Amino acid sequence: MTRYLIRRLNLFLATSLVLFAVLFIVTNQFPVEQGFALTGILSPSAQQIAQINADFNLNSDSFDQFIAYLHQRLSGDLGISATSHRPVAEELASVLPASFELASVAATLAIALGLPLGVLASLSRHKITQHTIMAITLTGYSIPVFWLGLTLSLWFGVQLGWLPISGRLNLLYEIEPITGLILIDTLMSHSPYSVSAFIDAILHLILPAITLAVLPFTVVVRITRSTMITIMDQTYIKAAEARGLHTYRIVLRHALPNALIPVIKSLGLMLGAFVSYAMIVEVIFSWPGVGNWLVSGIYQRDYTVIQGGVLAVALSIIFLSIMIEVLHTAINPLSRKELYDSN
Amino acid sequence: MRMLLKRLSNYAMLTAIGWLLVGCGPRLIPLGIVYCSEGNPESFNPQLVTSGTTVDATSQQIYNRLVNYDAKSGQIIPSLATLWYISDNELTYTFTLRKGVSFHQSKDFTPTRQFNADDVLFSFNRIIDIDHPYHQVSKTGYPFFQSIGFDKQINLIEKISDHKIAFHLNSKDASFLSNLASGFAIVLSEEYSQVLSKRNEKEKIDRSPIGTGPFKLIKYVKNGYIRYHRNEQYWRTLPKSEMLVFDITPKSTSRLEKLITGDCSVSALPKAGELEVVLAHDELVIDSQPGFNVAFWVFNTQKPPFDDVRVRRALAHAVDRESILRAVYQKTAVKATGLLPPMSWAYSENKPIIHYDPQEARRLLKEAKVVDLSLDIWAMPVARIYNPNALKTAELIQADLSNIGVDAHIVSYDWSVFNQKLSQYNYDSVLIGWTADNSDPDNFFTPILSCSSMSTSSNRAHWCHPDLDLILAQARATTHTQERKKLYQAAEAIFASQLPMLPLAHATKLAFKHKGMTEVTLTPFGGISFTGTEINQVENKQQKDIR
Repeated sequence: MTRYLIRRLNLFLATSLVLFAVLFIVTNQFPVEQGFALTGILSPSAQQIAQINADFNLNSDSFDQFIAYLHQRLSGDLGISATSHRPVAEELASVLPASFELASVAATLAIALGLPLGVLASLSRHKITQHTIMAITLTGYSIPVFWLGLTLSLWFGVQLGWLPISGRLNLLYEIEPITGLILIDTLMSHSPYSVSAFIDAILHLILPAITLAVLPFTVVVRITRSTMITIMDQTYIKAAEARGLHTYRIVLRHALPNALIPVIKSLGLMLGAFVSYAMIVEVIFSWPGVGNWLVSGIYQRDYTVIQGGVLAVALSIIFLSIMIEVLHTAINPLSRKELYDSN
Repeated sequence: MRMLLKRLSNYAMLTAIGWLLVGCGPRLIPLGIVYCSEGNPESFNPQLVTSGTTVDATSQQIYNRLVNYDAKSGQIIPSLATLWYISDNELTYTFTLRKGVSFHQSKDFTPTRQFNADDVLFSFNRIIDIDHPYHQVSKTGYPFFQSIGFDKQINLIEKISDHKIAFHLNSKDASFLSNLASGFAIVLSEEYSQVLSKRNEKEKIDRSPIGTGPFKLIKYVKNGYIRYHRNEQYWRTLPKSEMLVFDITPKSTSRLEKLITGDCSVSALPKAGELEVVLAHDELVIDSQPGFNVAFWVFNTQKPPFDDVRVRRALAHAVDRESILRAVYQKTAVKATGLLPPMSWAYSENKPIIHYDPQEARRLLKEAKVVDLSLDIWAMPVARIYNPNALKTAELIQADLSNIGVDAHIVSYDWSVFNQKLSQYNYDSVLIGWTADNSDPDNFFTPILSCSSMSTSSNRAHWCHPDLDLILAQARATTHTQERKKLYQAAEAIFASQLPMLPLAHATKLAFKHKGMTEVTLTPFGGISFTGTEINQVENKQQKDIR
């Protein structure tokens, strides 16, 4: 197992290196001066130019430049944003938790609702229930997320006036960021409005989280259902039934753990789509996360922000896919067996 | 199986009840105003910029000026200066300053003394004196002051005593007090500048502002929000709301949505088409204020073929301004007959500056021997008071131009990039406009068309005409209203014959707000006020003592 983990770590490092190389090449292709694209300093003084040249080894060949680039980026220097003049790393630290919060709430929603519904769909002997569930998930799967987001905000926000449709919190609540996760920060805050702010934060979270959860939810339902149907036909389930075990026990103890394995795998495959959906959702609901930040950076030709955003998003996708793969291997007895075989 | 279903439904019930409980809990909201603004301020010092977004976010909230302009009476009224005296030769203005005014306290700075003449001296010397230690701190210069030639106009600013200061002018200027009342002529803290110099953090004076205004800046998150707290030591009636937040929302529809869902209590710069939506909501009201502004389509007169007046006239003849008024402004604007809006005292109903005539346009182009003309139209990406939708305007102009065989491309960038690129003057034409900073008609000419404004970013036509400059100088040098009116009419005539830009419309200044928001007032010249008092109501009585 240790060797397997080391191999995965290697994979992570190698992929990240390729990512850095791609970013480095693209940065040199930006239609602006190289020093500006690298640091975000618009009109540097002579001293700053010398500093940039020294930091990024701009006077030597491409390979040395790449090494210097890696060195700078890995030591946490992502340059400064050309429009806000704040360090990109600092801005990133303020937008990443927001995205993380939205994504994890949406993922939890999708799994917490998707798994039971998938199981239900597979167990139901009613054709109507089955077809209804399948029809709903297929519809959910095919609705474009931007349309869904806009429609939900039109209904529940503008027409019914039930839920707020932009931002994370009513701006009148003054909550100091501690963890960056608004649900936790509001509860930790000492302001007399802490509980109200927490409720307000939840209300702000509902629509974006639902919009983002729809796609993974439908995928989870469909995959859970199809694997459960296959598994429930297996002989060991029949044996369990023959022993007189309760359906509830059979499903939870014997079938579901096995059904989870392909679900996890499909979650890993869906990660890329999920992240790009998250960006769209962030833009629609003005959620101050990394997607929104990156998109406005692109509009403002803020090259350091573009690099920082792409780097953060790509690195988290690489990291999460590898983590999901490790998780998949860890709980899948079959792949564990293969692992020991190959070792 | 049945068991399982039962448990599942129980679980669902519990969750639903939980959510309902959460939703019903008593929610307290802090007292304050959220204003949906249209963009990021470029700086927190209005001296350095001309953009309305920055003026909105700073000059009425953080700072005060020496004098204010009262829209109702059309007069200059006291603010930080309580009295002033103009010498007989009209070259010296002596101000008596208010006592007991304190500056904001922030985590960087605690004022040890109150406002006095040193602060005024610092605020204005910074602009006019190139050797001043803070002059070069501004990377963008002082565009408004440069465009009116402020540095050449002032000979000396003299501190007479701690609460008395005199401005000595080089030449008579009837618009001087009006310029001091504009949103750009704010007063900074001299003591704060000393503290920053010692810490070697001079540039902080424009980023972490200290002023005397009703609100102090607490936090600014770019593309996010600006948070202000009430200045508890404010020298005038304290504003009702303890907190003021600018929610930066560039998209006009998002601003409207936020207003409807209650995330904002006031919303800036609506598009004309949104008026009906607001009228359909009972809890929303529309605030309006006749516009002291003009939207125009500017030609870059330094760039051929736009240096030829015939080409400019041809393009202007080709544009159907009525359709722009209908489609873009939807009855919220009046057609421009020149630069001055009907509200200005120097306005007189002159004949239409140019009429819609594609035939004439073609003829003029032929006469100028311009064939296969193709040009760029730069359109602002954001809504401004004078033009709520520049992109749509550009599309209409594009269609009109294709009628006379001129090919037009529309160019647009994000606002800050757009502004930056504009100052490089490599556009053919741009759709932009001007919002007056004060009531003086001079403000519609000198900052945007005079030779001295060539070096600043406000002269978008890059135009310099000696005859016009002469007339403007004459008009400034006299205080006789009738005579000035005549001179400004002459200036309008030169403008109409040369047509460095095509004026489109004078838009009504609009804002949407919730019914309860009585403390919000639109001011006619740049800036929105959240203090709840009509500007300087209290001090009006002192008016009689002056002069």
